[in-house]
Amino acid sequence: MLRFIAIRLGRAMITIALVVTFAFIVLRLSGDPAQIILGPEAPPEAVAAFRKAWGLDDPLWLQYFHYFGAIIQGELGRSMRDGRAAIELVAERIPVTLALTLPALAIKIGLGIPAGIYAALHRGSLADRVVMMLSVAGFTIPSFVLGLTLVLIFAVKLGWLPSGGQDSWRHAILPVLTLGIGGAAVLARFTRSAMLEVLGQPFIRTASAKGVPWRDVIVGHALPNAAIPTVTIVGFMIGTLIAGAVVVESVFSWPGVGRLLVVAVANRDLAVVQCILLLVAATMVTSNLVVDFLYGFLDPRLRQNPGKAS
Amino acid sequence: MTALTRRAALQIGTAALGASALPNFAIGQSDNRPSITIAVQKIVNSNTLDVLREQSNVGERVFFTSLWEPLIGKDWLGNLMPRPGLATEWKRIDDQTVELKLRQGVKFHNGAEMTAEDVVFTFSRERMFGNSEAKNRSTIKAFENIPAPRPGKELPPEIPAVARRAWPDLLRVDAVDKYTVRFYNATPDVTLEGRLARYGSDIMSRKGWEDAASYLDWARKPITTGPYKVVEFRPDNSLTLEAHDEYWGGRPPIRRIRFVEVPEVPSRIAGLLSGQYQFACDIPPDQISDIEKNAAFEVQGGTILNHRLTVFDKNHSQLRNPLVRRAMTHAIDRQAIVETLWAGRTKVPAGLQWEYYGDMFHADWTVPEFNPTLARDLLRQSGYKGDPIPYRLLNNYYTNQNATAQVITEMWRSVGLNVQINSVENWSQIMQRNDSRAVRDWSNSAPFSDPVSSIVNQHGPNGQQQQIGEWSNAEMNQLCEVLETSTDRARRRTAFRRMLEICEREDPAYTVLHQNATFTAKPKSLKWKASPAFAMDFRPGNYV
Repeated sequence: MLRFIAIRLGRAMITIALVVTFAFIVLRLSGDPAQIILGPEAPPEAVAAFRKAWGLDDPLWLQYFHYFGAIIQGELGRSMRDGRAAIELVAERIPVTLALTLPALAIKIGLGIPAGIYAALHRGSLADRVVMMLSVAGFTIPSFVLGLTLVLIFAVKLGWLPSGGQDSWRHAILPVLTLGIGGAAVLARFTRSAMLEVLGQPFIRTASAKGVPWRDVIVGHALPNAAIPTVTIVGFMIGTLIAGAVVVESVFSWPGVGRLLVVAVANRDLAVVQCILLLVAATMVTSNLVVDFLYGFLDPRLRQNPGKAS
Repeated sequence: MTALTRRAALQIGTAALGASALPNFAIGQSDNRPSITIAVQKIVNSNTLDVLREQSNVGERVFFTSLWEPLIGKDWLGNLMPRPGLATEWKRIDDQTVELKLRQGVKFHNGAEMTAEDVVFTFSRERMFGNSEAKNRSTIKAFENIPAPRPGKELPPEIPAVARRAWPDLLRVDAVDKYTVRFYNATPDVTLEGRLARYGSDIMSRKGWEDAASYLDWARKPITTGPYKVVEFRPDNSLTLEAHDEYWGGRPPIRRIRFVEVPEVPSRIAGLLSGQYQFACDIPPDQISDIEKNAAFEVQGGTILNHRLTVFDKNHSQLRNPLVRRAMTHAIDRQAIVETLWAGRTKVPAGLQWEYYGDMFHADWTVPEFNPTLARDLLRQSGYKGDPIPYRLLNNYYTNQNATAQVITEMWRSVGLNVQINSVENWSQIMQRNDSRAVRDWSNSAPFSDPVSSIVNQHGPNGQQQQIGEWSNAEMNQLCEVLETSTDRARRRTAFRRMLEICEREDPAYTVLHQNATFTAKPKSLKWKASPAFAMDFRPGNYV
């Protein structure tokens, strides 16, 4: 097991290093942060002073060397926009984003999985078709369209909820719903497919033939076997908790990590972008690790042969 | 000792609670001024409220007239001409020196009185100029005398450079007495009063600076004289201002102003219509009629001190011949752009100048006439063979930018010009110097009421266009010297006229497309007037 964890962690570190390197090269080659941050009307001498102060005149390889060296020492750099530590800026935004993404995750799981199971158990019925129709709609409607539609209905027409901002829990309702509905639709489809596949397996027929009550067949045999693809999707969703709400945060003016990322990329504020990417990569890698362990818990065959889980 | 029963404790507690609540209630009742929320696309770009660091249109909106005030103000609700601000009067001592009498009784947000000491500090090395030096004529040479960044409360590196650009030859400011200051320039300069009124020459409290723990702490909550003071600034999110009741211009009409950042246009409009915001700014022209279909709302605003330009790189192989650039200027139907893309809510100005230049304004000057026949003829004379001319384009950095680019590209095509749009992502890519740079978009402002603030500062020898190697012209550069140094107004006026002829007709550096405009939506029931600028004026008398 230790070897398994060590290999996974090693791969995770390589992944993170590649992400950081790739982002550094792409961002630095595609624009000069000094000109972008100071704007088109900035006097040339101001741009020059800014470049000198932030070491942007150094060769790219030297900048990368300095940057990567600092990361290894735990220093994630400072924002070129206001000089604050990048990690401080990002840390301020994480709880703001989690205030949306965690309740949204609860909606995705609490709504999507039961709906998928129900649809699978009533395959071909009117209920199945309604669930799948709603699922396809939720899956295909872009989040900004769904978000603006909800705003039009609940903020503009009915006046029940605020259209944007982050002043109270009421401001979170529409963005949470926007995020939650789309994710629930995805989970419902995956859960239904997984359940249908399992329900068609011989061991389900065998259990039924042996007189096991249908409820026990579902709970004891079908659900655990159908859980693996669902857990994979949920794991992916957990991986996007930190920066998976970029569009929704923009539509609802929610000042979370997603908006910080948009602003930082637009300004080529390298340290902030890198810091967010590091966090996202770390979250994704961690959630993948947890999912891998869950595979073993859900399927004893994988516990006996961990290589299959990869 | 008397035992305290539960009943007695409850009574005391209730009485104490009531007593503590009553004064607050009374205060709340006495201040019945409204609080408002304003949705903007962006509050500031620099994450600070430092008027020298935030050099942007969006910054102007939150700074003026709410926070920052200069010695010589502007008529924000009129024609933007100079008017007394924190100084009540001023006079020339000589061609290089201006003396100003300060308004007495002006209180900063920290309660301290503004004196000459604060003015001197505002224009000090510690606050403005760092290690940079005044140059004995013309604007400073680029890349010289830029102080190295220092930790703590030292200035960000770009501030001295920006300050020197605004005050290239300022030697020092002296306090003559508590309420009198003198500005000494290294050379004669007729624009000193204009520079005193410009963005960036606004007065701050010395004590406010000294009390702040760091530059960033100060820059997020600057202590100034404006009618509103900073309560809270959350970068990229919101800025909350509160009435400064000791404001010298009277009691501010609004108790609390909250600017919130709402990046998406539909979200700003939805918030306005739902009543969440009282003002929605940065409304694109194509949304105005939709908003005004609702009889309860209106869109205010209009032209501002900023012109949209198309800029030429005369070093590009296809544009070396000025006849090609001249053809481009005559092929554009600017009025059609104003009518179709701006719903007629802006105008085609008289070249790169503004009426508030006063006697320096040339009312009879116009942009090159729309004349496709002349454009074709000029192209024929130039020997242009139809080779591609690249046009670097940002994605709607300016309002209607993409649509305007597509329209004028087709207008150019119709006279035989093969201009090809090349979309890029940022200003760095726009300005990158190589063979694919020929045409780009830009806008020019006039920070003070003299052509030095625009045509010299932007297109002269130290202006961006020449600094990045797009364009230069020997005669133009000599004329810039005249405009900057001469005190003979007639000579300056003639020089400016000649500069317009060179830059817009003979050897085009740019061509003006239209005046820029900004639009703000609000309920009709709110009595408020937009100024002809990005600035939003909420001083006494302009909000009911």
